[in-house]
Amino acid sequence: MLDRDADVVIIGSGAGGGTVARELAPLCRDGARIVVLEAGPKLRASEFTGREVEMARRLYVDDGGFLTEDRAMTLAIGRAYGGSTLVYTGTSLTITEPTLERWGVPGLTHSDVLQRSQKYLADNNVHLLDEEDLNDNNRLFAEGCRALGYRVEQFPLNLKGCTGSSVCNLGCPNGAKMGTHRVQLPEAERQGVTVVTNCGVDRIDDRAVVATVTERSDGEPSAWAPGAYRVRARAVVVSGGAIGSPALMLRSRLPAPLPALGRYFTCHPALILVAQHDRPITNYAGHPKSFYCDHFADADGFLLETCMYFPFTTAKSLTGFGAEHSRLMRAMDRLQMILVLAIDPPDPDNRVLVDRNGRTVVRYSFTDQVTRSLVLAMRASARIFFAAGAARVHAPASPRFFIEAGDAARVDELIPLDGLVLGKVAIASAHPMGGCRMGSNQTESVTDSWGQVHGVPWLFVADGSLFPRCAEINPYVTIMALADRVAEGVRRQLPELRALSS
Amino acid sequence: MGAIPDSQRDLLRLLAARLVPESAKLSRTEHSEMLALIDQALADRPAGMQRQFSLFLRVLRWAPVARYGRPIDRLTPQQQDSVLRWFQDFPVQVIRSGFWGVRTLVMMSYYGRPEVGATIGYHPSANGNAVLHARSRR
Repeated sequence: MLDRDADVVIIGSGAGGGTVARELAPLCRDGARIVVLEAGPKLRASEFTGREVEMARRLYVDDGGFLTEDRAMTLAIGRAYGGSTLVYTGTSLTITEPTLERWGVPGLTHSDVLQRSQKYLADNNVHLLDEEDLNDNNRLFAEGCRALGYRVEQFPLNLKGCTGSSVCNLGCPNGAKMGTHRVQLPEAERQGVTVVTNCGVDRIDDRAVVATVTERSDGEPSAWAPGAYRVRARAVVVSGGAIGSPALMLRSRLPAPLPALGRYFTCHPALILVAQHDRPITNYAGHPKSFYCDHFADADGFLLETCMYFPFTTAKSLTGFGAEHSRLMRAMDRLQMILVLAIDPPDPDNRVLVDRNGRTVVRYSFTDQVTRSLVLAMRASARIFFAAGAARVHAPASPRFFIEAGDAARVDELIPLDGLVLGKVAIASAHPMGGCRMGSNQTESVTDSWGQVHGVPWLFVADGSLFPRCAEINPYVTIMALADRVAEGVRRQLPELRALSS
Repeated sequence: MGAIPDSQRDLLRLLAARLVPESAKLSRTEHSEMLALIDQALADRPAGMQRQFSLFLRVLRWAPVARYGRPIDRLTPQQQDSVLRWFQDFPVQVIRSGFWGVRTLVMMSYYGRPEVGATIGYHPSANGNAVLHARSRR
């Protein structure tokens, strides 16, 4: 095993790790050695092909189909230089004050998070798209919402030079999305931070990280040669995401009991709803996600967003099979899509675990409240589709493959509350949160409000796993804001943290 | 040999033809490409999951014996569809999830091929905004 020494090791390069790297990078001027260990590759520009299966294999854990223990839901977890910021759609919302109040983390104020969020909105070139860059799929959603009196807003997006390829979730082929791979990591590297790609972390030891660099056929070569490494550090920052971070910490022998580790996992369980128009609409041209509707968030616990997915993702999201499924698939240029997301409650039994072989397991039970929210969201989406002129709607909780426009008034009856059958309907999540939640109580939380792990002064967490409850919005800006705060805490404490002597 | 046993390749082709009828019209080479995609996806999964997949295919094949006296590959297409719907709506979640897994892999193997776009009206372009702007000028 090869030995390396560093002052700070950051595990993961996404919204959390990339932010911490950039914020700590100025320390390199004074000789600090900062290393980012990233499990995924740094792809070359030519390797962003936009091909669905190929890119899912390159950029996601388990090709984007990581399954929960009961196989009722898949979790999309990005794994690359930039983490999930490489594969999201760039939607950049700041957390609301009521949500942060519900989080109830002593010492964490909304004004602090908002101020830090605004810094990243500016750094990441967040803005609204021009009217001419909105396609029919997005416009129709907004028109449908407005016709029904539902509150609808345009998403601020972190884009620069977007040409509307629509394949954001497969990594932008034009490099237009301002994730950490484009903004924070390159800046950190310019200032002296080393980013080691293709480097999976096996466990955390006492002020050290045990990792393995592997060789891949794609992407740029890693900064370190293939092999096993032990990296000693004064501070370790875990930013492997809400599944990776708790799993890694559970695999490690940490010198403090952490009964809440892995628990209170939330993820905004989501469904893709599809409607067919009688005429072609623009849907796969242009940015796919321009509007959201939070009209029902407080009362019914769901959010609606525009979306446009790729053939395989669309096919698996429809229920049924055979001729009618194929007919709908052959109408890709007439499809309007809505992503519905449930606001799920924090539950200690929804958790990340590690099995006896060291593999990560996510145990997640759908509460009645969440399944109800998803069904109500389908009904609301169906109304929006019909208000926008759709000819027929496919709702996975309906016993009918299609609800025709003539039956628009019967949506509630045709999408029954008990119609959502787990294991039959494709439910997915791209917003894993919790597992290393912040708080003051060691029994119910894992870190303090600065991301420092209770009882382990050299260990910090900086990613979505810090969320004590779900964010109720797309989470990356909040992750960056919290990571900025964690970096401030690391900077403050680093002089007092000594390395383990060799 | 890949993650799919040779003995189950014909069964997967049959299932693909029921789940995605267009797949029946594909050439032998295209069928091989579909199976290669499934092979590749399974190869990355734990051995336990590969075994479960293989076991579930066996269940799919032989379960119809109880109702029809014949395995699924010797039923009429209508009977095969009926069996598949029975699995899709099965009262026990683990069986539904097993069917969902097979269905998902088959859908991936057909709709995950880049050339399928041309047949389903899906033609994304790196410069989609140019398409949008041209449309709005019309």
